[in-house]
Amino acid sequence: MDFAKGLVSEGVPSRRAFLKLAAGAAAAGAISCAPAVAQDEPFKFGLTPVFLSNDLELLGHLRSYLSERMRGPVELVTRRTYQEITAMLVSGQLQAAWICGYPFVQYRPDLELVATPSWHGKPLYQSYLIVAANREVEDWRALKGDIHAFSDPDSNSGFLVTGALLAENRLLPSAFFSRTFYTYGHRNVIRAVASGLAQSGSVDGYVWEVMREIEPDLVNRTRIVRRSEWLGFPPVAAPKSLAGDARLARLREALLSMSDDAQGRTVLQLLRLDGFVDAEASLFDTIAAKVEAVRQFG
Amino acid sequence: MKLLRRVRAIPVSYRVPFLVALLMVVISAVISERVLDRLSRTQESFMNSLASTYLDGLSAAVLPAVLREDVWEVFDALDRSSTSYAAMSPVETVVTGADGRVLAASDPNRIPSYSELPAAYSDRYGAGVVTVDEDALTGFARRELVYQGQPAGTIHAAFDVSVLFAERREILLTLLVTNAVLAALFALGGFLLVRRMIGPMRILEDHMRAAANGAAEPIPSAEFPSREGEAASLFRGYNALVRAERQRADLAMQLAEEEKLASLGRLASGMAHEINNPLGGLFNAIDTLKTHGGTPGVRDTSISLIERGLQGIREVVEAALATYRPQRSARPLSAADLEDIRLLVRPELRRRRQRLSWAVDWKGEFSIRGGPVRQAVLNLLLNASAATPEGGELGLVASDAGGLLTVSVHDTGPGIPKDIAGILVDPDPGPAVRAGPGLGLWMVRRMIDEVGGTVTIAEKAEGGTTVTLLLPSAREEGKADAA
Repeated sequence: MDFAKGLVSEGVPSRRAFLKLAAGAAAAGAISCAPAVAQDEPFKFGLTPVFLSNDLELLGHLRSYLSERMRGPVELVTRRTYQEITAMLVSGQLQAAWICGYPFVQYRPDLELVATPSWHGKPLYQSYLIVAANREVEDWRALKGDIHAFSDPDSNSGFLVTGALLAENRLLPSAFFSRTFYTYGHRNVIRAVASGLAQSGSVDGYVWEVMREIEPDLVNRTRIVRRSEWLGFPPVAAPKSLAGDARLARLREALLSMSDDAQGRTVLQLLRLDGFVDAEASLFDTIAAKVEAVRQFG
Repeated sequence: MKLLRRVRAIPVSYRVPFLVALLMVVISAVISERVLDRLSRTQESFMNSLASTYLDGLSAAVLPAVLREDVWEVFDALDRSSTSYAAMSPVETVVTGADGRVLAASDPNRIPSYSELPAAYSDRYGAGVVTVDEDALTGFARRELVYQGQPAGTIHAAFDVSVLFAERREILLTLLVTNAVLAALFALGGFLLVRRMIGPMRILEDHMRAAANGAAEPIPSAEFPSREGEAASLFRGYNALVRAERQRADLAMQLAEEEKLASLGRLASGMAHEINNPLGGLFNAIDTLKTHGGTPGVRDTSISLIERGLQGIREVVEAALATYRPQRSARPLSAADLEDIRLLVRPELRRRRQRLSWAVDWKGEFSIRGGPVRQAVLNLLLNASAATPEGGELGLVASDAGGLLTVSVHDTGPGIPKDIAGILVDPDPGPAVRAGPGLGLWMVRRMIDEVGGTVTIAEKAEGGTTVTLLLPSAREEGKADAA
């Protein structure tokens, strides 16, 4: 039920989604020190807005895999923005969540790294600056004056990387671009650029590459102007307060051994990932450096 | 007027189908106009309600995003509505914010976000919900977005309405084809029906035409329409008329014959008298011969007397033969004919002690059938004698004025009654003939009509009547016809 609502609210902000955001924000302060959740309650696993068109199939497989391996009910929670998921995770409403590297470094003291996806053999990905396929630009500096689509203000690849790039060049997004807006989804950034609503966009390189296989008609209407350096792949994290929880250990085990299981491989195949690895938190230091760069300039 | 005359000149069997077809065309034009008018109203209300639904749905979807000026969400709503409202086929939708700038358009490449809305977009709306540009086959509609009484923005939508026009065209075509087929069928049906209806009239017309030319034949039962109806009763009526006319003609002929015999009877008694008168003298002469035949003077005188007496008898008999033998009646009229008449009426006149003045300024022959004229003049003289009191005077004047024979018979009677005079002078003698007596005069009239002559009747101031026959010669008539 919940994730279905989350899907619906991915693009259209219903009033209910707004109310939940408010409630979630309020709850974040009130129950940040909530006690460990009882064993018979479902394990709540948060997902940042995912990119794929066959979300329902993916979520079904993922939940069924996790429930089986964790020997208990698992509830997948999706929300419209990164911020909502992050707030729910940090406040303990979620027992674990697949979040972006940017919120992870922001809330690093409160979060425990569970596992990191591995893509093309490494737990790394890039951020892309994309434009319409027929637009003739070679350098990101030529994007000055564009209407620019960001994915999410709490996204590393969809916002922070571009912000940091501009900061390193002593530029502010609001000054460099004529206008910017958030689409709250990497797929939406691609749609915005492909349709011409935005002249350029910041998008997750992993999403762009995977979607090029799934929806080539859409993605091929865009092309890459700039690839960032390799950065830590969005990880699965849990509240620090649950560090010793047995279920969290089972989750880590389930994720790390996903490629050994048939259903797990189905999930990985849908996500176009190799599997999950037990990466060091220092993997995200480059992202932390970008946060710092933006903060210093801004 | 000319056209109307020309239309009237077309036979009914073509005119009626033509009028039926014309009527169908008019009816179908009226019906088509009504149907299309109704259709366009229906389509308009259908289009309006669709547009309203589209705009309602879109308003609800975009209003929160418009309030936040969330370009992406407005675009996302437009993008998805374009597929979910396929029935309305929106071709372009633009959402502007409170400041009038574009938030998002369904095609950002045409109308970029944050730009000023082109003036053409604001000016294209009319009074209705949807304004249709028939040239571009596009409908335009606008919806103001209002939040808490404050204007928040506007939705400008354009729809593809070509389907509606295609539907209208299709219906018009269907109507035209259907009505054309119907009109053709009705015209054909009308043609066949009218032909069937006027078929009996044709038969009747042919018979009437034949009757006018003299041979009135009843319509044979084979030509009767198979079913009872107006035509059948008309035919029966016509046949009854023909039979009545035939009976009347037969009767008239019979009466004429009887009249002839009657006048013959009168003449015969006169003739008997005429023959009887000299007979006494003849017998005396024969007695004288028997007694004094030896005396040459007496014998010669007696034989001469007998000869003259027999001569007179022969004249009377010849005159009667000339009048009553049909084969002699074909001969041209001659002065001798008139002399015969004089001879024939003499006994009757003598019986009534009437005087006859005789003025015939004509000799030889006249090119006209002698028989009928003799009979007619004889009838007139006998009528004149009957009308004139005993001891009165009547007369005949005849003259040939260059191909026109004039024969006048006058009497000193009280005049011919008006209704009987009509038999001679009316253009149509029928009513006067049917009114009563005057069969003799009717025979005169028939002769006059036969030879193409005319009759005048004049009343004399001192009393008496003059009937004048003007008879053209057959040759003159032939010339007149040729001319």
